[in-house]
Amino acid sequence: MKKMFATTAALMMALSLVGCGNTASSEETTATTEEAVTEEAVAEETTTEEASTEEAASAESDLAYVQEKGTLVVGITDFAPMDYKDENGEWVGFDADMAKAFAESLGVTVEFVEIDWDNKIMELDGKTIDCVWNGMTLTDEVKSAMECSNAYCNNAQVVIVPADVADNYQDTESLAELTFAVEAGSAGEEQATALSLNFTPVKAQSDALMEVAAGTSDAAIIDSLMAAAMVGEGTGYADLTYTIGLNSEEYGVGFRKGSDLAAKLNEFFAASYADGTMMECAETYGVQAAVVEQ
Amino acid sequence: MELILEQLPIVIHALNIGFLQTLKLFFVTLIGAFPLGLIIAFGSMSRFKPLSYLTKVIVWIVRGTPLMIQLLIIYYFPGLVLGNPIWGGGETGRFLAASVSFILNYACYFSEIYRGGIQGVPVGQTEAGLVLGMTKTQIFFKVTLLQMIKRIVPPMSNEIITLVKDTSLARIIALQEIIWAGQAFMKGSQGISGAIWPLFFTAVYYLICNGILTLLLGRLEKKLNYFR
Amino acid sequence: MSILEVEHIQKSFERTEVLKDISFSLEKGQVLSIIGSSGSGKTTLLRCLNFLERPDSGIIRVNGETLFDPDAPFSRSEAEIRKKRLHFGLVFQSFNLFPQYTALQNVMLAKELLAKEQPDYKTRKKEIHQEIEAQAASLLKQMGLADRMQNYPHQLSGGQCQRVAIARALALQPDILCFDEPTSALDPELTGEVLKVIKELADKKTTMIIVTHEMAFARDVADHVIFMDDGCILEQGDPIQVMEHPKEERTKQFLARFTQG
Repeated sequence: MKKMFATTAALMMALSLVGCGNTASSEETTATTEEAVTEEAVAEETTTEEASTEEAASAESDLAYVQEKGTLVVGITDFAPMDYKDENGEWVGFDADMAKAFAESLGVTVEFVEIDWDNKIMELDGKTIDCVWNGMTLTDEVKSAMECSNAYCNNAQVVIVPADVADNYQDTESLAELTFAVEAGSAGEEQATALSLNFTPVKAQSDALMEVAAGTSDAAIIDSLMAAAMVGEGTGYADLTYTIGLNSEEYGVGFRKGSDLAAKLNEFFAASYADGTMMECAETYGVQAAVVEQ
Repeated sequence: MELILEQLPIVIHALNIGFLQTLKLFFVTLIGAFPLGLIIAFGSMSRFKPLSYLTKVIVWIVRGTPLMIQLLIIYYFPGLVLGNPIWGGGETGRFLAASVSFILNYACYFSEIYRGGIQGVPVGQTEAGLVLGMTKTQIFFKVTLLQMIKRIVPPMSNEIITLVKDTSLARIIALQEIIWAGQAFMKGSQGISGAIWPLFFTAVYYLICNGILTLLLGRLEKKLNYFR
Repeated sequence: MSILEVEHIQKSFERTEVLKDISFSLEKGQVLSIIGSSGSGKTTLLRCLNFLERPDSGIIRVNGETLFDPDAPFSRSEAEIRKKRLHFGLVFQSFNLFPQYTALQNVMLAKELLAKEQPDYKTRKKEIHQEIEAQAASLLKQMGLADRMQNYPHQLSGGQCQRVAIARALALQPDILCFDEPTSALDPELTGEVLKVIKELADKKTTMIIVTHEMAFARDVADHVIFMDDGCILEQGDPIQVMEHPKEERTKQFLARFTQG
């Protein structure tokens, strides 16, 4: 019995240690293989680095941090035509391909991680991802929370309604009588608020579409690039269509606040725009008309 | 309908992969929470007061807060606050963090069930064992345990079936379990976009899984009916 | 030398003194009956002898070996207590059979666990198991339960359960077998079969301590009777003397309740 209590106590302590980070434990671990030694060294280095960068901008460290661990972790959602899986389960799309090329230019491998869009800032700051590269609209909120690249794509927010009533809603005044579904925290929600529309925030743009299809909302506001890919004949939402564009906006890539990777990406964008590889890539996914000159 | 038939193989394949993740989380949680719950139960019944209070506070916190918050804290807290993202961004790290959250959460629920089960076994059973010269460990494993298991099977069954469904909460830290896989087709994935039915179809998986579990647990309950 | 010597046992729960300076001795092969009203401390005394309660002071000796002495360090060690309590067997009022085991398994369990501690257990595993099973079966036969060995406790009557419990206690061959009101939980028509078994044990010169409310039985089977009242031994002696010619007023009152009722 006593042994059992002792184990309990030990376990409790172990659990509470998990919360305290593993600096102590990594020092205690006796390295058995060379690999373990280097891992430990890296771990210690990064912790000291983090300590010193608490006040100073992490400007120098972020590029070094990514290169040291050898991977650029890109936070994405399944969002055609920017990031989506092909038949082989590979991530492709305009954003995915550009991210691969950018990682290559840094000399690191790319790792795509699907995230919950609501948690993107937490994922960045918590270092579980290194950037958000997923057709992200550069809103004021995004710009204040992240270190953003230059805009690389134009986009607009458009109104989605059932095709049979589309004719009635071709101007902003007519929208007042409708109920809307918009993605929480999206540029669409910003527009809905600005126009004082009657709206419900949902978890994703696709959820907003489902709301309209199911009739639980009259209309939705989503990205035009997505609307082009997902709404209308030949898509899953054949009965829906998009009407007016509410604003024009731009897509950018977000990094941790103060990161030097944003500037690095701007250089990369400029270079690949100049040598034509960016346009080439855009044409593959049919977004060439939206690409912003770098 | 024709469209659905066309999409079916792709969707089923994706849902299977998602459900595999669901099952993995389910079994890992059970394997971890069964023994940890017992340890916590012993902790809360300890005569050493500080240990008993500590475990009771932990159980109170874990049972008193939503599992979703616990998932967020366990996954993001190390990186956000301590500057050390111990889990990493990949799928393995997310699965590990989800496992730790689920095991801790369910162990606390299990511990209360265990406690009820242990305290429900008459004290005369322990005394009879003591008088017969058994050690406390022998009494626990040879006498009390099975009687306790018989008592806890019905409430445990409830928790286990709830666990199958609760695994879907792990998608808050982007663990790609079956509901995530179903939702992917709404946004567009593998050439299918705007398909709502895969999400609803995930319910079939849960139903079948819980059907099997109900049968198995019912059989266990029956099997333990040989004594009273 | 007496097989059992109890000297100055004292025990309090919280502030209530349950046992006040209890001393008595018992000879090998004798039967001691302890009588007295509920709350007089009889059961607590038995529980002290079986180490289910820890006396605050006093000494317990079996065959001259000190089993309990609050000042001795071995009285605090669980392992020591475990060894020493094997000198005693205890039959409970409510049987406390293990419900998940058959009658035979109930009798065998403790012995099998003890056998595992023998140095030659691994080499003689099968043999030992067979010995234990044969002994258990013969004990159950002796209890008149030859056809009930494979039954689970819930399939047995109260009287049968209590006889299994007696066999279980006997399996460990204790020096002294204690009974804590062995028939109190039984329907009246079932007490006879249990008392008969205890009587047979007495005839075989089993050393026993029996706490009971069956006065006729106590007088019949006991060699020595102790009357307890309010935590004290008020009167003791041979059954005829204590039960038919009691000296103390309290004893007379107590016995009168039984002869009238």
